Amino acid sequence: MTTTLEHFTPVGAVPAGGGLHRRLNFFTALISGGLFAFIAWALSHHFLNSDGSGFSDQVTVLASIGWVLGFELGIGALTPIGRWIIGKDQVHDDELYLAGKNMGVRRHWKYCTDHKVVGVQYIVVTAILLGAGGILAMGIRTNLMTPGLHFVNQQVYNSFLSVHGMVMILALIVAVAGPWANFVVPIMVGARDMAFPRLNALSLWTLVAAIPLLLGSLAIGGLDMGWVTQAPISEQTGVGFDLFAMSIVTFTISTTVAGINTICTVMTMRTKGMNLERLPIFVWASVVAAALGLYAFPFFLVVMSLNLADRMVGTSFFVASQGGTGWLQENLFWLMGHPEVYVILIPAVGALMEITTVFARKPLFSYRTALGSMVSLAGLSALVWAHHMFTTGWAPSLGGPFMVTTEMISIPTGLMFLVILGTLWRGNIWMRLPMYWVFGFLFNFIIGGVTGIYLSDIPVDNQMHGTMFVVAHFHYVFVGSVLFGAIGALCFWYPKVTGRFLDERLGKLSFWLVFVGVQVTFLSMFVSGLRGMSRRYSSYEMIFEHTNLVSTMGAYTIMAGMLVLLGAVITSWTGGEPSGPNPWKSKTLEWLVPTPVPLENFEVLPVITSDPYTYGEAQ
Amino acid sequence: MTNQNDNKKHHRDIFIVWALLTVIGVLVGLYATPWLMPKSASHTMSMGILTMVIFTVAAAPVAALVYAVCLYALTIWRHRGEGVPADGPAIRGNGPATVLWLVGSTVLTLFLLIWGLGLLGSDQSAGAKASIEAANGGSAEITVDVTAQQWLWSFSYPGTHVKSLDLYLPVNKDVEFNVTSKDVVHGFWIVQMGIKVNANPGVITTTSVTPDKIGTYTIRCTEICGLDHAFMMTKVHVVSEADFQKWLASQPTRI
Amino acid sequence: MSRSKTIGVALSSVLLGAGVLSLMGFGLASAQPHQPALTATPTGTRGHVALTISVYPDSQIGGNRGTGGAHPDWVSYSNDNLVVPANSVVDMTVKQYDTGGELNNSVFGNVFGTVGNTMNVNGKEVSSWDPTSIGHTFTLRGISGDGTRLMVSVPIPFDTNKGAENNGGGVEIAPMIVKFSFKTGGKGVYQWNCEFPCGGSRQGQFGEAMSTYGYMSGTLTVK
Repeated sequence: MTTTLEHFTPVGAVPAGGGLHRRLNFFTALISGGLFAFIAWALSHHFLNSDGSGFSDQVTVLASIGWVLGFELGIGALTPIGRWIIGKDQVHDDELYLAGKNMGVRRHWKYCTDHKVVGVQYIVVTAILLGAGGILAMGIRTNLMTPGLHFVNQQVYNSFLSVHGMVMILALIVAVAGPWANFVVPIMVGARDMAFPRLNALSLWTLVAAIPLLLGSLAIGGLDMGWVTQAPISEQTGVGFDLFAMSIVTFTISTTVAGINTICTVMTMRTKGMNLERLPIFVWASVVAAALGLYAFPFFLVVMSLNLADRMVGTSFFVASQGGTGWLQENLFWLMGHPEVYVILIPAVGALMEITTVFARKPLFSYRTALGSMVSLAGLSALVWAHHMFTTGWAPSLGGPFMVTTEMISIPTGLMFLVILGTLWRGNIWMRLPMYWVFGFLFNFIIGGVTGIYLSDIPVDNQMHGTMFVVAHFHYVFVGSVLFGAIGALCFWYPKVTGRFLDERLGKLSFWLVFVGVQVTFLSMFVSGLRGMSRRYSSYEMIFEHTNLVSTMGAYTIMAGMLVLLGAVITSWTGGEPSGPNPWKSKTLEWLVPTPVPLENFEVLPVITSDPYTYGEAQ
Repeated sequence: MTNQNDNKKHHRDIFIVWALLTVIGVLVGLYATPWLMPKSASHTMSMGILTMVIFTVAAAPVAALVYAVCLYALTIWRHRGEGVPADGPAIRGNGPATVLWLVGSTVLTLFLLIWGLGLLGSDQSAGAKASIEAANGGSAEITVDVTAQQWLWSFSYPGTHVKSLDLYLPVNKDVEFNVTSKDVVHGFWIVQMGIKVNANPGVITTTSVTPDKIGTYTIRCTEICGLDHAFMMTKVHVVSEADFQKWLASQPTRI
Repeated sequence: MSRSKTIGVALSSVLLGAGVLSLMGFGLASAQPHQPALTATPTGTRGHVALTISVYPDSQIGGNRGTGGAHPDWVSYSNDNLVVPANSVVDMTVKQYDTGGELNNSVFGNVFGTVGNTMNVNGKEVSSWDPTSIGHTFTLRGISGDGTRLMVSVPIPFDTNKGAENNGGGVEIAPMIVKFSFKTGGKGVYQWNCEFPCGGSRQGQFGEAMSTYGYMSGTLTVK
């Protein structure tokens, strides 16, 4: 069978082996990005009207665009399309080079179209984002350890919490979908790579380009209005907001490209016999989340663009004194913000379902329910956004309808529990490291999910909105559920990526530290909220000091657990116990290929005759 | 051991664990929740606390079921020994269990929904009402205009000469708040009365409540509004009608 | 991995990580722009202390801002870290060198919370000022640890006959002198800021100097 990488050689093709393109890597991208940012900054500084009120915003936005363009140029993302435009399209050797053939470790520093390399790169990017967000979390909790601002002042604290929020959200959006929808899903469907390999690399490197902008907002100007950047106050703040908005715009490009890629791969590149009912549930989870993301993230792009327009050129979309309204910003934001949390949740749940089947040695309980619950969750999530706005005073008559849709979302969520519990039912539970995270998820997600239902009830929300109760709720879902899913997925697929087991003892130690830390930190935070502590407070009254101290101790425990996990990942990569190609004796396709996975995944594309959950059935 | 007997045993044992956990959950809901929440100073708040209790009690059996199955899986069904376990039974699904779960969760959701919607409809201050023009008195017995400004609350009593940085309210009288902001969005929250509405620039939003206990309560801001958001709080004094009139009269005429 | 190697990796990960974080934290805390505290000085009268601050049209001179900092053109108070003793009467003097305009919320043209609910402007005792000729306000509020509530707000007027006393040259020209007194209760940290927004941004003018730490806001620590 011919490979998908064969290509005709156009007239006047550039000879293979030479050229600037072969020398491009992450470092040239940094230099190029910095250079273009500086040129854009200098030009705009010189030529734009410095008396205009939007001047510093215009300069910052143009410099950010320079940075992104320069970075993409410097990593080689624009070379393929550029060569196509000038009529000197890439030849077969170029494409093999781009896929990283015979290049060893250094291909991970470059624009590499091999989906497995992109998957590993996403692991590193996720770790960096989680690390940065985690450092900020430690800053937040250290400041809140005692009342009074003994660590940082209010302005620095407000910036910490805003950037912590956004960095962690980004980290979780890519935590499961980034590494595993890229590394594993193509192999799971029996394809040799994704539908658009170059777009795959583009999505990763665009995300990398967005990160310095986001962290830069912390350093230059600060960001004092939370990750929701509500309208009137976002218009007031310094250029930190412009960097934040540009990082979101860049991120939206990355996630849109990645989402299209995932969906097209699964829809068009399945191998013979892999019909839709035989797809592993994780594939479906990736597709549903990608589709939901394609719906939701454009709203983010729009709201950031309108906000930038208000700041840069004096429009008044969100300026009440000139006819605009902050409610428009809130609506647009939450139209993105609510589906986005399901974009984060669904891949994690899909990965955990996969893990449960392997480690209970049983088929997935009610495949159709699993699929149906994911699809209905995604669909309903588009109809609930205004539950974030119950207390804003906008459209009180819509309170009832949004309460209905929000409470209805608990039904598909409950069905997901049924699927996992049903898969566990009478299984032979193999308590290896990935399974710990499944049980941790089940414990935490009940608490997180139920407290969400509390908040969906308007009389309760009138008391609890804007308090630490909400913060504890979503941390139980984000940290206690999604992060557990992401770490479980990492422990599960680690042997496939590296050929070695993640050290079980270190992994279990990190599990217990993180699990206990989560309970201590966030149960105590529920109490703070119930007793009346507002959120986003840089300091608090004396009555809240004990619960906050306890939360801080818990946070340090989580940090210790994550550090142990990091140590485990790093040391096991080259020094762990060898695992062989299928240590978990799983039946999904990625475990049936050798480790390390060859460049084109399969020597011969398999023909599928059943789904991968035939445990306990006659073969 | 046949499958039937196994299943019956599993059902019975899990039921016992579930019942135990449910009792613990219900007790937590009935006692811990009200104990942790601020003491109520209005009917709205009392109903809010009651709702929290009911939701916790309703959630207890759900959480108990999940935890009971998990505990059972971790102990009884756990594979002990080295190496890969043998395959388990090929249970692809269970129609009755799925239907039962679906029906059960729908019924529970409907119950919570009906409770919440009923409460919403009956208590006028459970939802915040917005009006673009200046609010008239409506059915409230007194009106207070609340102006939020970075980082301070100021109050005025329409129909009187009083403008103040302190909030005084008479007990057992319905009060309607007309809330607005001079700059960014703030959140007006009277903690012990369970009402909250945002203060938006250029718009007046309203909420109302009937304080039913004399005392001093706290107002905190709940939407991040910049530097001193954490310090944007003040006290509200609920006093008898006579004391309230005395306070009004004692306030100087201010510009 | 052997047991001792496991313990070694775990410990070194945590210690290394904690070490890096502590260093970052320590660096951050030391880099905080803490202005030196301005402590109230006892006056002749028993139980009274005196405190004098100024407010300037830019941040190039006065108090602790001699260098101008990152934003030399922003309006600023001379000190943002005030310390007063508990259970005393603070006789405060504010010297106003800036121009002003009309308040966006006229309630702040009134005097709240001072002794006698009055202030003394250039020798005249008043309880409010025309909201259209206000320079800044000194608004102090908060609830401290023991529940003591301080709420003092004083409008600081500007002289409509004079222009701005610009202090680029470093010379103190005759300012508007506003004096008032207020009582402190128990210990605590209170926040004060100016409630006459004049910063950037179209919505409420509360940007720039108004929302950057250390210019038009500060703390009052009651010891």
